[in-house]
Amino acid sequence: MPTVLGVFEVPGDVAAVATKLRDRGYEDLEVYSPAPFEEIDEAVNPKPSAVRGFTLVGGILGALTGFFITIWMSNDWQIIVGAKPFASIPPYIVIAFELTVLFGGLLTVLGMLLVGGLPKGTPGSHDPAYDARFSGEEFGLVVGCGDRDVAEIDGLLRAHSAKEVSLVAE
Amino acid sequence: MTPPPAMAAAEMMTPEGPKADSRANRDILRVMENTTFGWLSLVVLAFLVLNAAVSVVFYQVYKGLGIAGYSHPIFWGVYIVTFVFWVGIAHAGTLISAILYLFRARWRNAINRSAEAMTVIAVITAMQFLGIHVGRIWKSYFILPYPNQRGLWVNFKSPLLWDTFAISTYGTIYAVFLYVGMIPDLAIARDRASGWRRVLYTVLALGWQGTSRQWKAQTRTVLHLSGLATPLVLSVHSVVSWDFAMAIVPGWHATIFAPYFVAGAIFSGFAMVLTVLIPVRRIYGLERYLTLYHFDMMAKFILLTSLIVGYSYTIEYFIAWYSGVEPEQTSFWLRAFGPYWISTWIMITCNTLVPQVFWFKQARTSIPVLFVVSVLVNVGMWFERYVIIISGLSREYDPGVWGVYTPSVPELTILAGSFALFSFAFLLFLKLFPVIAIAEVKEIEIHAKAHGGAH
Repeated sequence: MPTVLGVFEVPGDVAAVATKLRDRGYEDLEVYSPAPFEEIDEAVNPKPSAVRGFTLVGGILGALTGFFITIWMSNDWQIIVGAKPFASIPPYIVIAFELTVLFGGLLTVLGMLLVGGLPKGTPGSHDPAYDARFSGEEFGLVVGCGDRDVAEIDGLLRAHSAKEVSLVAE
Repeated sequence: MTPPPAMAAAEMMTPEGPKADSRANRDILRVMENTTFGWLSLVVLAFLVLNAAVSVVFYQVYKGLGIAGYSHPIFWGVYIVTFVFWVGIAHAGTLISAILYLFRARWRNAINRSAEAMTVIAVITAMQFLGIHVGRIWKSYFILPYPNQRGLWVNFKSPLLWDTFAISTYGTIYAVFLYVGMIPDLAIARDRASGWRRVLYTVLALGWQGTSRQWKAQTRTVLHLSGLATPLVLSVHSVVSWDFAMAIVPGWHATIFAPYFVAGAIFSGFAMVLTVLIPVRRIYGLERYLTLYHFDMMAKFILLTSLIVGYSYTIEYFIAWYSGVEPEQTSFWLRAFGPYWISTWIMITCNTLVPQVFWFKQARTSIPVLFVVSVLVNVGMWFERYVIIISGLSREYDPGVWGVYTPSVPELTILAGSFALFSFAFLLFLKLFPVIAIAEVKEIEIHAKAHGGAH
């Protein structure tokens, strides 16, 4: 399956061309950009990111762990203070809060790695379309398409002021 | 026909690689590549002082805590003062990178990376003092709840335990925050480096390509980490303040301690960011990225937090008088006019009077004034903790057990060593990682280019 690469300079052009391609039914799109741009994100990945689920689960797990370890440990090693219960909830809120943040944060990062498909090898080895220019100031748009569609996509990319268009893979 | 200019000819002859690389890439990556004599001499100096301090720590392990200037009833001295000081410094990073991020304050882009790095390094520096203060460094792990043969668990009702959890969570989350924010920049460095640096950045960049899926995951992660870090930072210095406020020592037992410590922490953190960035900007020619506008904004923050700190000082004295509790009143009276009066007046002068110059725009945009004020604020904030801890402990309820503490030479050496450790680690960071968030700077520049400077 051929892969067409267009190089752009303005994020708005990339977003416009990505929207058009998706409208015409080309779903196999990938955009390389030197910085995050909302318009590109909306055009290519309109769905909300799954990372938030990881944060939520991590946070809940952390809070539960915090209360569990403090209450269980106070009852396992009992310090007798007057006639009071061994576990004392108010101070344990501090521990539960810290663990909420700790677990929430670490799971968020795990989510980033899973959702973003990281880690990978060097881009040059697994991704022929990637170019060091895309960590400079240029944008790359890669479209996977059928043999007959190459000319159409080429025209569309150039119409949206692509600097250059090339065939990455036959 | 005229021959093309030499530059153009050279560019035509080197078609390999990115021809006209982004200016932000070149300017910021250059900081990592140039090894100047100034940098080298600072590293050597920091390393030597650090070694002196490490030797003193070993000496303390051999001799015991007797080498510190402790005398009854004061057994919390310079070590704890310095610990609180460094935890405070660590707070600017969160304010800049998380809270200002949530408020969409664009000007933070120029300073967030260095502030985050300072946060991580300051937490590491602070953590050294937990072991040094305890004395038996080899038993520091007793503070963690780990399964052991005695069936013993730690006491979670103690603020010192909350502190352990707060500081270690803060250190971990910040190290992660710094790294996640840096991945795109590491990829930039990977694409342009050679030799061992290429290997290092290839591993650290995790194969980042800047695809829209990766950017989405990364920006969401930064957003969520900011959301988590914001209450975290408020909790960390609150918990540190409760190490004192939960005790019944006069001068410590106050409900205002948590907000008072948090404001002080942000105040000192911003000052440290200025103290460090002013020379870095000068040495590496980063005036295009760290502009006077950024310094102006930071000076305004210092002014704001200075006013909060000044208000807290006033309220502390007012409440001491208004409470009618004699030990409380005596403690505060002796703070200002007792044996530690010099420290108290240094603290009041440096933290509340000196920053008032920032009411004037000329002062906020004058590099020498900013530098001097930031150093004085750091001095003042160290003395603030000194006054709270030492003067509190030295004058408790019973005049029969009052005492005076003077820091010993070994303690002061270790204090100097903490600054050396901080400087040494930050200097290495400058060499290894981009000191300004390149991708975030580019986001603004590309927007400006696309919309004709409308942003």
